Amino acid sequence: MLSFIVSRAARAAITILLVVAFAFVVMRLSGDPALLILSVDAPPEAIEAFRKAWGLDRPIWEQFLTFATRALAGDFGRSMRDGRPALALVLERVPATLAITLPALALKLALGIPAGIFAALNRNSWADRAAMMASVAGFTMPSFVLALLLVLVFAVQLGWLPASGSDTPLHAVLPILTLGTAGAAIMARFTRSAMLEVLGQPYIRAASAKGLGWWLVVLRHALPNAAIPTVTIIGFMVGSLVAGAVIVESVFAWPGIGRLLVSSVANRDLAVVQSLLMVIAGWMVLANLAVDLAYGWLDPRVRTITSRAD
Amino acid sequence: MAIQDSLGGAAVAAPARSGARRAGRLLLGLPPVVAVSVAWLALALVVAAGADLLAPYAYSALDLKARLSPPVFMGGGWAHPLGTDELGRDVLSRLIVSVRMSLLIALFGTMIAAGLGTVLGFLAAHFRGRVEALILVLIDFQAGMPFMIIALSVLAFFGNNLVLFIVLMGFHAWERYARIARGLTLAANEQGYAAAVRQLGATPLSVYGRHVLPNIASTLIVSMTLSFPEIVLLESGLSFLGLGVQPPLTSLGNMVGYGREYISRAPWIMLAPSVVIVMTTFSISMLGDWLRDRLDPTLK
Repeated sequence: MLSFIVSRAARAAITILLVVAFAFVVMRLSGDPALLILSVDAPPEAIEAFRKAWGLDRPIWEQFLTFATRALAGDFGRSMRDGRPALALVLERVPATLAITLPALALKLALGIPAGIFAALNRNSWADRAAMMASVAGFTMPSFVLALLLVLVFAVQLGWLPASGSDTPLHAVLPILTLGTAGAAIMARFTRSAMLEVLGQPYIRAASAKGLGWWLVVLRHALPNAAIPTVTIIGFMVGSLVAGAVIVESVFAWPGIGRLLVSSVANRDLAVVQSLLMVIAGWMVLANLAVDLAYGWLDPRVRTITSRAD
Repeated sequence: MAIQDSLGGAAVAAPARSGARRAGRLLLGLPPVVAVSVAWLALALVVAAGADLLAPYAYSALDLKARLSPPVFMGGGWAHPLGTDELGRDVLSRLIVSVRMSLLIALFGTMIAAGLGTVLGFLAAHFRGRVEALILVLIDFQAGMPFMIIALSVLAFFGNNLVLFIVLMGFHAWERYARIARGLTLAANEQGYAAAVRQLGATPLSVYGRHVLPNIASTLIVSMTLSFPEIVLLESGLSFLGLGVQPPLTSLGNMVGYGREYISRAPWIMLAPSVVIVMTTFSISMLGDWLRDRLDPTLK
């Protein structure tokens, strides 16, 4: 188990390092931020001074080393726009994003898991087909279309809920509904296929054959085993708590991480984008690591199989 | 059933009568939802292929006297069946051209990703050792970051042109193909047939291209039907944010993006492309599910 944990943690660390490198290289190769922040006709001395101040005049590997060592110390630089520490700027947006993504996650699980179990237990019934059609419709509908449809119905036509902004708790309802509905569709699908997989196993037949009631078979033997693959998708959803609302936040003018990303990418605010990438990646990697460990804990087979295959 | 039949017949439009009948029978043999999906996709492909002939107006032609005129079913005239936008551009014509743009991007994106991923998966399985470790790290990286975030940073920082955008879409989900190709190739290498053709003196290229690939193709194709609608959604999402396909070009997401500003006065501008996006991605997913049920023997 220890070597399993160590190998997973090492891979997580490598992934983080790659994200740092990716963020850095893409952004430095793509253009000269000095010319973007200052106008093109700024005096050359001013541009020179700007470059010196941000270390843009040094070779790129040196810039990267500086960046990486500072990043390890928790210093991601300052926003080029308003001069505040970039990491602080990013972190202060996290609560707003979580305020809509956490309730949305609860909605996904509360709707998706029962629907998936129900569909699997009634496989090929009309209810199963209807649930799966609804589920496909739910996750093939782009979040911005769903968001705009909800705005059209609840804000424009009925006038019950505000269309955008973040002043009252009511403003959070439509974003949460948008995120939750699509996620519940995915959750239902995964739960259904995990359940079907388990229900086809010999040990379920054995449990039925020895005379256990069907509900006991489902509760004691099917559900716990079906929970294992479902952990993956829940982990993925937890991983996207921070960055999973880019479009929804933009539609509803919600002041979270996603909107900050879009605006700082548009402004080419390098320090903020780098901090964002790091925070998002760090969170995703932690969530993935947690899933891997949970998997190893739930399913002893994984520990030995993965340490051999990978 | 009559509706399906006419839809199917119109969409397939085979030249020979018997061919049309056979195609019609084939469509009728499918589950209804799948048949409608196939018919819709065929219609979308026909529209995409004949966009220039089918569009009643040039997609950027202005008609300033008919700005924001509603579609027929909302009291508008037949001059603009789906209405016009704020500059008097014909929504139907823009929709037709947008369908072509969005499908082309998704098609190229899917093919690039499938090609790239499969080759990398083969390389990993063939060389093992360091090459495999490197590819696995890249897979982890790609899977560890939401692609939306990667795409967003690359696009905004490299500026935007269509070729770059399509290539970027080609990086979506390559890691899934790579994982599948690697895993199945490792399994195939343990089976008799790969070893047998190798013993017969086949080059690695022919082992993988002519023997392993056909054996794992069905899984890859199912994966492509999963990732195609994802690319449609990704493209339309980015275009919606104003970071994808740029005006004067148009795509489905781009139309929804500017239609959003007229949501209370002229909802048809955003509704028309929204319906097309949802129908298209829904159809491909239904088709993909059906294919997986047919192609994956473990589900039977």
